[in-house]
This record gives sequence, C-alpha cells and structure tokens, in this order.
Amino acid sequence: METSPLTRPTYTDALVLHNVTKRFGKFVAVNDLSLKIPKGSIYGFLGPNGAGKTTTIRMVMSIFYPDEGSIEVLGHSSAEQVKDRLGYLPEEKGLYKKMKTAEIVAYFGKLKGMDASTANLKARELLTRYGLGEWLDKRCEAMSKGMGQKVQLLGTMIHDPELVILDEPFSGLDPVNMEVMRDTIRSFKQNDRTVIFSTHVMAQAEELCDFIFLIHKGQKVLDGPLSEVRSGGDHGIKIDYDGDGSILHRLPGVERVNDAGKHAELFLEPGRDPQDILRELVGKLTIRRFDISEPSLHEVFFRAVGGHQHVVETEVRS
Amino acid sequence: MNKTLLVAQREYVEHLRTKTFWIGVLIAPIGIALVYTLMFLLAGKTDLRKYAVLDHSEGAWVSKVIDRRIADDDLDKILGSRKISTEERRPLLDQAKAKLSKLPQGHPLRELLTAMVSSGVLAEIDKAGGWDKASSALKARIYGIVVPWALRVSQSEKQRVQVTSVATGMAMKDYVRVPVPDEGEDTEKVLNQKLQKGEIFAYFVIGSDPLAAEHHSKYVSNNLTDFKLRSWYGDYVTKVVRERHVQRLKKEKDLTPGDVAAIQRSFRFEEKKLSATGEEEAVVESDKVRKYAPLAFVYVLWMAVFMAAQMLLTNTVEEKSNRIIEVLLSSVSPTQLMHGKIYGIALTGLTVVGSWALFFVVGVKLAPSLLSGSTEAQFAKLGLDHVISDPAYLGSFLAYFLSGYLIYAAILVALGSVCNSLKEAQNLQQPVVFLLMVPFVVMFPIVGDPNGTLARIITYIPLYTPFAMMNRAGGPPPLWEYLASSGVILATLWIAFRGAAKVFRVGVLMTGKPPRLGEILKWLRAPVS
Repeated sequence: METSPLTRPTYTDALVLHNVTKRFGKFVAVNDLSLKIPKGSIYGFLGPNGAGKTTTIRMVMSIFYPDEGSIEVLGHSSAEQVKDRLGYLPEEKGLYKKMKTAEIVAYFGKLKGMDASTANLKARELLTRYGLGEWLDKRCEAMSKGMGQKVQLLGTMIHDPELVILDEPFSGLDPVNMEVMRDTIRSFKQNDRTVIFSTHVMAQAEELCDFIFLIHKGQKVLDGPLSEVRSGGDHGIKIDYDGDGSILHRLPGVERVNDAGKHAELFLEPGRDPQDILRELVGKLTIRRFDISEPSLHEVFFRAVGGHQHVVETEVRS
Repeated sequence: MNKTLLVAQREYVEHLRTKTFWIGVLIAPIGIALVYTLMFLLAGKTDLRKYAVLDHSEGAWVSKVIDRRIADDDLDKILGSRKISTEERRPLLDQAKAKLSKLPQGHPLRELLTAMVSSGVLAEIDKAGGWDKASSALKARIYGIVVPWALRVSQSEKQRVQVTSVATGMAMKDYVRVPVPDEGEDTEKVLNQKLQKGEIFAYFVIGSDPLAAEHHSKYVSNNLTDFKLRSWYGDYVTKVVRERHVQRLKKEKDLTPGDVAAIQRSFRFEEKKLSATGEEEAVVESDKVRKYAPLAFVYVLWMAVFMAAQMLLTNTVEEKSNRIIEVLLSSVSPTQLMHGKIYGIALTGLTVVGSWALFFVVGVKLAPSLLSGSTEAQFAKLGLDHVISDPAYLGSFLAYFLSGYLIYAAILVALGSVCNSLKEAQNLQQPVVFLLMVPFVVMFPIVGDPNGTLARIITYIPLYTPFAMMNRAGGPPPLWEYLASSGVILATLWIAFRGAAKVFRVGVLMTGKPPRLGEILKWLRAPVS
C-alpha cells in the first residue's frame, strides 16, 4: 500500500537519468543519456521513429535495465521501489477483451497495490466521470478503439500516480477524445503530478509541454524549457494562404519551406528582407496572414534531426 | 493468372519460405523414426522371463515335445534349417561349418555347432534330403544335443546374450525354463515360494490328461498384465495337444462332433495369482481392472496436461500480441507475472481434473443403486471401488497432473513469450508435442510390466516422470521409487522454472522475429539481474 505523503522522501526532480546507455546486441538504442525532469512539469519526449523514446521509457519503468548509468525515480534509485506510484500507458494499447471495463480498470489499480474495494469504487467513479458510465459492466471487446484507449488511460491513473508516463497518448484519438486527453494531462499538472509524454505531433507538444526533450538515434539533441528551445533558432515567416503553394519553393532568397498546404513556414537566406518576400507573393497567392516569429517546434525538430526524410515520416505517422 | 491461383501461390510461397515449415516437414518422419528406434532398442531390453513347468502328463510328454519344438524353432534361427525353397537350401552341414568359422573362440554357439558337426547327425539329415524329410529318430538325436545345451546356456546371462545376439528372435532371448525341483506333494508350494521371491516369473501346471476337456491345468503368476509368456507357451501346448488328438482320431473310423470340438479347442490355463501371504487364489475381473486402470488414467492425465499447457501458451501469446503485457510489466515483475499465469491456469486445470475425479468417485459410488440385478453384479465384479480408494490411483493422478502440468507449463510459457502470434507459437510447439507423444507410445508396454526395465528408464527421464509413475500405478512401484521420482520431478521443476523465467523476461517484450535457439541459450546462461 502507499505510504503516507509525510513519510515519503521529498524530491525536486521526479526523474533523473545519469549517463544512461542501453544496447541491444550491437545496436545502441540509447547512448549516454542524461536528463532531469522537475516535479510538477509536463515533459515532452520527441524524436523520430526508432530514436530511443520507448526504450528510455521502458528503462524508467524498469521493464528494461540500462547497461550503463543510473536512473533515479521519485528520489529512489530504482523504479522498482516506487512501481506503485508510477503510471504507464504504453504506445501499443491493449485490453483483455473478455473482461468488463470496470473490472479491468480496478484490476490495474489492484496491481498497483490498491485494496479491492477502493479500486472497484474508484474504477466505476472514473469511468462514469469520463463518460463511460453505460459501459461499466460491458466487456472491453464491445468498445470502439477510442473508448478502449480511454479505459486504458483510466487504468493508468486510477491509483493517482505521482509520475505518469504516456507513450504516444494521442495516436488514434478523435478530436473530442484528444481534448479529453489534453485536459487530463493538464489536470495532472494542476495536482502537482509530473507527466512525461512522447509524441510525433509537434503541435501537441507545443500546446502542452513545459519542457521538451528531443532524442535522435539514441542521443539527446535538444533539452530544455519550450521557450528556450524555440528561441534558439532563427526567426521565420509564417503565412496563411490560398492558391498553389508550389510557388513558395521557387521564391528567390528562401532557404527552406515547410509547406502544409494552407499555411507555410519560410526561412530566408541570411541578409534577406522579409518585405521582399511579401512583395514577391502578392498577386501570386492570396495571403491571409503574414508574420515573423520564433520557429515552430516542427522547424526546431527538423533542424535538430537534420534530414527532411525524418520529418516527412513523422508527419505521415501523426 | 487466375486470381484464385494467385492467392494460392502467395499462401504457398509464404509458408515455404518459413523455417518452421521445413522443420515441420522433417520433424514428423525424424521424430517417428526416433521414437520407434527407441522402442526397438528398449524392446530388446525386455526382461527375461523365467518359468517352470510342472507336467503331470504321462511321462511328461507335453513339455518334452514342447521343449523339442522350442529347440527346433531356435535351431532354425541358428541354421536356417527350414528355408522354404529347396533350391536355395544349403546343406545343413555346410551352414553349420560356415557359421562355426565366423564365431570367435569361446562363443557358446561353437560348443553346440561343434557337437552337431562331430556327431555326424547333420550329414545324415542332409543325406536324407533336409530337415523336413529327416526321420524322427534323426531329429531326436538333434534335440538330444540342442535341448540340454539350451537349458545350460540360458542359465548364464552372459552366454544367453552372446547367443541371442548372433541368432535374433530365439525364444531363449525372452524365456528361460528352469527345472522344477522334485518335492513330491510339496512341489507346488516350493514353486509358489520361488514365485514370491521373484526367482521365477510364472509356472505352468499341466494336468495328467491334457486331452480331456477338464484337464485342470493352470498358470500361476503375479503379473497379470503381461500375458506374452502365457500365450507363447499356451500356443505350443495347444498345437501339441491338437496333434495328439488328430493322431488318436486317425485310428478311429467315426468322427463325433465332440472330437471336432476337441481338435478346435485351444488349450486354456486357469489363471492364478498368489495372495500376500503366498496363498494361491483365482484371478478375478477386478484384479485385471486394477492392472489396466493406469492406462485410462495416463490417457486422461495426458489430455489434461496438454490441454492446460496449451491454454497457457495461447493465453501468453494473446497477452503479448495485444500488448497488454507491457502495462502489466509496469506494475509487476516478469517473474511475478509468469508465476501468476502458471498458477492461475494450474488452478483452472486442477478444477477440471478434480471435477473429473469427483464425477468418477460419485459415479462409482452411485452406480450400484442405479443398476439392477445382474448388471449390478457385473459392475461390482469390476472392483472400481478398489480403484477409487487406492491413493496410488486418484491421489497420484492429481499429484502427477499438477507436476506434469507445471513442467510443461514452464516450457510452454517460455515458448509463448517469444512468439508474436498464435501461428508462430503453433509451429514452435511442435517439438514439444512430439516429446509428449512418447508417454503414449510406451503406455501399453509399461502397463504390461510396471516394474520392468522400460518402465524404469522412462520414469527417470525427467519430462516423462509423472506419466510413467501414473502408468506404473498397477505395479505398484516400491516406495523408494516414489521418493526418487518425486526428487526427479522437483529437480526438473526447479530447473524448468528458472530457465523459463530467464527466457520469459527477455522474450515477453520482444517483437518481430522470434529468437533463434542460440539466442535463447544465451539468455539461459545469463545471470539473473
């Protein structure tokens, strides 16, 4: 059972990684990674596929053990000592199809050390609060994918964990459920809980995160508060437009374009004047917005990873 | 191309490309060959049956004739004296000389062959036109050499093995007749004592008038399931007695139906066994039921173990393929998870098996009140209530279900942990299923001789111990064997669980290709962190 908050060792960082390395055979999945995640923050883990996000998370959960380095979770030297105070939603989600939703949520709670009656009550309460009241005694197999993911999220938080790790929590959710997920993540923060989530979708990270951590090929590329990370890059031009965007690529003085069809981000060669670009565009496209601002996370990501291919892949997945 | 064919082609090629397909292709023939080789090797190891014949017929003619027949058959194995085709047949003398030249010095067969060659009887038989045409006087001279030789040689284990390895299929390999001590009225008592001490396997008593319908012949043994000796010797007696009938009838003009019946009759020995106090008693139906009951138990045990272990495999693969495993592992350790799964399904299996046992017990108890008259009497004769009250049956059934299941559960849960789909798992479990076939193949031989060599060998092969011990319940095995085999089971369980835990903790999070055997071995060697 959980110890009372008073007896718990106080900690300022929910998670600290010291020079962690993990190899699978000859493949180095995570290379000499150090990281500090302050208590009460929302931390975004970004990185292309196969970058080492999930491996890092699994080491934090002590599902894997690092080959080198050490991991401190909630002030303890191993997650195993605090397993019951962590919540984990893995990337690939699954439920026991034949179990009833309330049963399965309660089961996850009991596995985390809750006593049976508290877990049962809490499971029903949570499911009802999240709009699944009609499903309490129905089997998981009857639910849609989105509902299933909600049930699993509830299973992750039923025991009110101090540190929640969500691996790709937004994948496969419809806009309504995405909003629910966002609210849930924010509510964790409000209760002074720490949240780590990994994602491919930069917009979600931008919206939610206090801190960003970018990993590529097992190595840390960026790490810090969101505003700092973004201010590190050159300013770019953001436009909203209608018309044939292919013209953007042919503009003189433009180094690179992130074109999303209706809006785009342009980065200029050094010494170019944004006003020249605006003049070039007028008449060729209908410009609805034109501003100069910090680069988007997308651009930060792109520059750090240093290859267009990864971004394309990332966008497709999200 | 026809679209159906296109689909068919893709399916075929996909399977052809997998390694497991080829393993599957090879495993059946290789496995069957191996199992049968093992059976063959072990069959050569059947224990020697020593028997005695107390022959009350006039001048003991029955057993004398039979001894000659046996010698005759064994001689055929040595010299090929009865080859069918006359052209192919080489003179017996040449055969004997050829054989003699191949045998090393001191081989017991040399003695026999030398005696036959030097007596000149083989030459005379050849002159007479071969074995079939030889006069009975000539044959008698041969028997005069072979029978005493065979009796002498078979008393020495070493010589017997030497002889039978040269001439396979000789009766001498399996059965040895030992002389009956002449104690007058007490002869049978002495024989019973020998039987009790295990000096002989069985003895026959042939009545004074074997041709009569009531000839009062009997077969006494304490092994009621191995009837090979009884039927082997019985066949000889039937033949010999039948020939005597025919000879007698040849002299008479009229054949009565009774005569025909007498010719057709096969010679029956009344079966007897010894009680614990050494008293002779009749063999009743319930004795046989008790001896054969283990067959049914092993069969059910096998099904139950297989079913439960299968359940575990399916369940592990399912959990892995729907990814729930990762959530579980964030709350429990892989070892806790593995043990939890194994015990959970053990309970499921025990519930099933326990309810079967309960049904059986209740059925046996209730049956008399549901049946009436003669059926009730027949049922009572089966003596099933002895079976249910004897802990060697139901007690060991539950114990061996649990231990057998746990051994195979550990293996299959480890297997399941490295598979990503049921299809993969089914392929990978083929070798295990094959291993599980062995208890089936040896089920009958073991019940025939529950404390014999085959039974003992199988008992101490760890994967088969629970099945073999169940199989031997009719014996029953001595206490020390129960203890020793329990030791084997516990050791096997310890090793299997440790190994399974190591494979499980790595395998369960693996995705993609199942690991090679080499990798699994590496995990097994790695220390537990």
